[in-house]
Amino acid sequence: MSSFSKSPWIIHYDASSCNGCDIEVLACLTPVFDVERLGVVNTGNPKHADIFLVTGAVNEQSHVVIRNIYNQMPEPKVVVAVGVCAATGGVFRECYNISGGVDSVIPVDVHVPGCAARPEAIIDGVVQALGVLEKKHADMVATAANIDQTIYLPAEAGDAPAVLALQKVAGQTEAELYGDESLPVLQQTLTELLGDMGRMLFIKAVVNSKLIGFARGEIRPDGICETAVVVHPYFRRHGIGRRLHEEIEQAFPDAHRFETFTGQRNEPGLRLLAKLGYREFKTEPFTPAIMWVHLQRERQ
Amino acid sequence: MNTWVRVILYLIAAPVVGCLLAGWDRRISARMQSRRGPPILQPLYDVQKLWQKQNIVVRRSQNFYIVFFLLLVVFTGALFFAGSDLLLVIFALTLAAIFFVLGAYNASSPYSFVGAERELIQMMAYEPMILLTAIGMYIATKSFSVDAIAGHPTLLVLMLPGIFLGFLYTLEIKFRKSPFDLSCSHHAHQELVRGITTEFSGRTLALIEIAHWYENVFLLGWVYLFFASSPLLGVAVSLLVFVFVILVDNVFARLKWQTAIRSAWVVAAVLGFGNILVLSLLSGKPATAALVAATKPVERVEVPIHGAPLAPNPAGVAPRRN
Amino acid sequence: MLCLRSDRLRRILAVCVTLAIGVAALALATLPTPIDPAGISLNHPWLHKGTVLIEIGISLYIIFIGLRAKNPMIVALTLAQAGLMVWFELGPGAHVEVAQNLFVDKLSVIMALINGLVGGGICIYSLGYMREYHEEAHCDVPDRRPLFFALLFVFIGAMYGLIFANNLVWLFLFWEITTLCSFLLIGYTQTEEAKRNARRALVMNLAGGLAFALAIVFLHKNTGSIELQKLITSKSALALLPAALLCFAGITKSAQLPFSSWLLGAMVAPTPVSALLHSSTMVKAGVYLVLRMAPVITGTKVGLMVAVVGGITFVIGSLAAITTSEAKRVLAWSTIANLGLIVLCGGIGTYEAVWAGVLLIIFHAVAKCLLFLCVGVVDHKLHSRNIEDMSGLILRMPRVAVMLLIGMAGMFLAPFGMLISKWAVLKAVVDAAPWLSVFIVFGSSATLFFWVKWMGKLLEVVGPCERVKKELVAGEAVALYGLSAATFLTCLFFPLISSRFVEPYVVAVYGQSASLSEGNIIIMAIMMSLVMLFPLSFISYGRGVKVVDAYLGGANVNSSVRFLGSASAVEEVTMHNYYLRGLISEHWLSRWGVIGGVVLLTVMLVMACL
Repeated sequence: MSSFSKSPWIIHYDASSCNGCDIEVLACLTPVFDVERLGVVNTGNPKHADIFLVTGAVNEQSHVVIRNIYNQMPEPKVVVAVGVCAATGGVFRECYNISGGVDSVIPVDVHVPGCAARPEAIIDGVVQALGVLEKKHADMVATAANIDQTIYLPAEAGDAPAVLALQKVAGQTEAELYGDESLPVLQQTLTELLGDMGRMLFIKAVVNSKLIGFARGEIRPDGICETAVVVHPYFRRHGIGRRLHEEIEQAFPDAHRFETFTGQRNEPGLRLLAKLGYREFKTEPFTPAIMWVHLQRERQ
Repeated sequence: MNTWVRVILYLIAAPVVGCLLAGWDRRISARMQSRRGPPILQPLYDVQKLWQKQNIVVRRSQNFYIVFFLLLVVFTGALFFAGSDLLLVIFALTLAAIFFVLGAYNASSPYSFVGAERELIQMMAYEPMILLTAIGMYIATKSFSVDAIAGHPTLLVLMLPGIFLGFLYTLEIKFRKSPFDLSCSHHAHQELVRGITTEFSGRTLALIEIAHWYENVFLLGWVYLFFASSPLLGVAVSLLVFVFVILVDNVFARLKWQTAIRSAWVVAAVLGFGNILVLSLLSGKPATAALVAATKPVERVEVPIHGAPLAPNPAGVAPRRN
Repeated sequence: MLCLRSDRLRRILAVCVTLAIGVAALALATLPTPIDPAGISLNHPWLHKGTVLIEIGISLYIIFIGLRAKNPMIVALTLAQAGLMVWFELGPGAHVEVAQNLFVDKLSVIMALINGLVGGGICIYSLGYMREYHEEAHCDVPDRRPLFFALLFVFIGAMYGLIFANNLVWLFLFWEITTLCSFLLIGYTQTEEAKRNARRALVMNLAGGLAFALAIVFLHKNTGSIELQKLITSKSALALLPAALLCFAGITKSAQLPFSSWLLGAMVAPTPVSALLHSSTMVKAGVYLVLRMAPVITGTKVGLMVAVVGGITFVIGSLAAITTSEAKRVLAWSTIANLGLIVLCGGIGTYEAVWAGVLLIIFHAVAKCLLFLCVGVVDHKLHSRNIEDMSGLILRMPRVAVMLLIGMAGMFLAPFGMLISKWAVLKAVVDAAPWLSVFIVFGSSATLFFWVKWMGKLLEVVGPCERVKKELVAGEAVALYGLSAATFLTCLFFPLISSRFVEPYVVAVYGQSASLSEGNIIIMAIMMSLVMLFPLSFISYGRGVKVVDAYLGGANVNSSVRFLGSASAVEEVTMHNYYLRGLISEHWLSRWGVIGGVVLLTVMLVMACL
């Protein structure tokens, strides 16, 4: 459907702009340019928006806000960086509190040049963003349609950023259960993850070249294999977790027992593990809110 | 027309008409601001898009309220076009609005909370006038049934000019237009974000939009009721009223909620109640003696308190609702 | 009861008695009415003397209270009415032939059912509640539970007497007993505030009692009879003054405007007392009497004044309920408002209005009782009756919260009972006197506001909510579940209740009755089933949605409830309901309400005398 290109709703955020670009964004709404004739609405609410218009460079104060707004927008969504500051930091680039352009915080899809960006350029940027939006939506639909064509491959060091991102997304949903952000998967850095990837075996689940889940396993000298499986929340309940568990088992033919752990409130996860034959053997408190449940199963 | 045909026609045609009206609304507003404005089908495109977006929530239960909001709005309109009791229609409408408000409360975000409180204040503001409208129509036609009111031979607006004006006033609130767009205006996103709908997205937001289409058609249907004795005039005036509402929307700034409720109650008391008072005076029932007059014609059938069989009701004093 | 010190024995006895009362009420309901009164004429001379003696006893006790409290009003009012009654019963009234002292018709049966079932529910509830009250919540209050339960049952007993009495002297006796019981129950905690409020309730109800006594004397003087039935059926203008006086008594008892402060003050008592006063007994006795008088005062100026008092009370009560955040006070104002609606019906007094009024009594009793009892539980568990503190109750105490929601829906939402009744009232008023409808339309929109914002408070969740352990103890659970079911059932069987109980009564009095047309019943049923479907939607709980934080201008600090404020300080989100205190003030409303009420009642009495 082409409805995405007919109804772009925008949220505009001023990261630390000199207001030059902001004025031009507003100018787009005036009778001269009348951006509403393209169906554009300036919503001011991330929950309703499709396009995130950012002006100005990112500073200490604004990077949290940018990330929050981005996270609160429903998929599919597109980010447009308006003006040189939003693209690279512009003249403020060397400032002590500036971390650079918007892409230092979130992925940017369209860059609009100019200082300040002209209204025509901004409108052009939005129109280009519509193309990206359409494509993202098509990808979403295709991924959902091709979920049964998931392929499972060993992951490599090049996959590390994608694995880290997936880990964060999945960790966030679990952290909500406890109201506690101290889960290890949320705290891990890229370097730590690369270390892990050198030591352990990582198997990734990929649809349309997009990473939607992974499993990791490491065999101890006593023949016990420690495993962990992570699936993107959007693609759960499609049998991907079960399949990843099976892949790991095949990858470690020498292991006679498998162990894993999860939080006590992760009920869907615990249900899946129980179905796979895992039995609880100990619990250990991690933080006041989180209790790890350790499970194990013998190889059949 | 058969009742069921009318209901089915409403169920099918109302979203189409509502969508077109919403499109015209945006187009006319744009023209009033010397802009070109979006295509007429823009609301449809918006809803189509929203339907395909991800649905994000703050609390998992919040969307159910909106589903019931839509269901009840549709139910309200269906009741109205089926020609049922006007008071019942109002109660169903109120119930629908309450589901909407509870959904916003449930979302537990400060902006939706403010929106919900303001929506409630607006409900409190328009409720008396809406009820008085129904009562005025009852006094004029001696029936609460929409069918009977629509079938009344005289032009109701001639008997109910004050009530008609008061009803127009509340329409501004019901259409969520300036000067009463305090609960969910997108013009107010600096202070209100999106008010009552802030935390709804994707399909749920689309449902809210569709509910508004249904609601608007129902409200214009009610305007038509004032002119029901000459259908062409009725349709024309309904559309004119719609344009008038848009005009007011573009002319006025947003009022404070205090002013909104005070003015709405004053309008209800002066125009609505005044009209009813005059009407009951004209129909030969002086207000103070109305009570006495109303009860005298009822012939009391003297039944011994203990045990006598019921006397059959004399014809003519048969209870109206049996 | 009074001498039972053991908690267990008391519990067994209370449950048995309650069951007996309930079963008796139900049995009575199945009997064909009017019951042949021959066997229950009870015309012994010693019975007559007994009533006089009890009355004198009560009066002496009240005078003693008045003297101890150094309250001249109490003493004067009691002396006046006691003197009047003793003079009457020993003098002119001594030889009055009363054919029937008791009688039973459909209205009495309805009242008996409410009294037996709702009152019984309250007794069972208080068994659990009062134990918690003394052992956990209010350890500082002296434990006088034997007295409490004894009074509870005396109260319910007196109420039975009141609704079955035909002899006005008897009715007066039971009337005084309820006054005394309510005084003792309101003052249960024996704090200064409780004592003061109890005295205020006593003074106001004694004023009503004085009017009652005067009514008896005038009735006897004018017509030579002291029977309620004769008064109702008499069409002579001579009956108007006694009827007006009885309405005055009813208005004091049902806390209508000049007198509503006693009911608000009664909130200091433990919650079951409030529930009892508000739903099934005390105030219902007042509206019962007004509804009884409806055929006499209908179409007169007296009736008009009564209706206006009710209407004004409805509007002012509803508006005042908006301005307060204390749950019991909101409920109290709402009770006053709804009783105003019933009094309005009684004042209009047409067959439609009386039909609507009786329905209001039924639905109000059930839903309001449920609400009070729920608030009692919340009060014990959260140690607060403030509505602002109830945010997130749906997660903290889900069962109680759902029952509160049911109760509130029962109070004002279509298609529940109260709304059907309000609808009936509106129709009745428009038929009789359209201009009186102005009270209803403004009042009911205010009603909507304060109920919905309370509902919203229960549903809204700010911050993490700890679930309360052990929400309900056994007695509380039985009563609450029962009443929740009753709220639904009364609504579901509304046509049946109307046709079996209410309509026969109205037909018996007026020769015709109103009822809901079949088409509208079907529509109501559809709406009901829609609402019932709502809980079903939770089956698809959270499917296909993604949970994210609430929008806080993007300044969220890892949560929906904390944000980065000015100077990078982390601040908590707080949300408070609107109370519109800048627009309307409770104080202003009460003051003008009282002034208006006094004026109207004076006009009413003057008109009745003329």
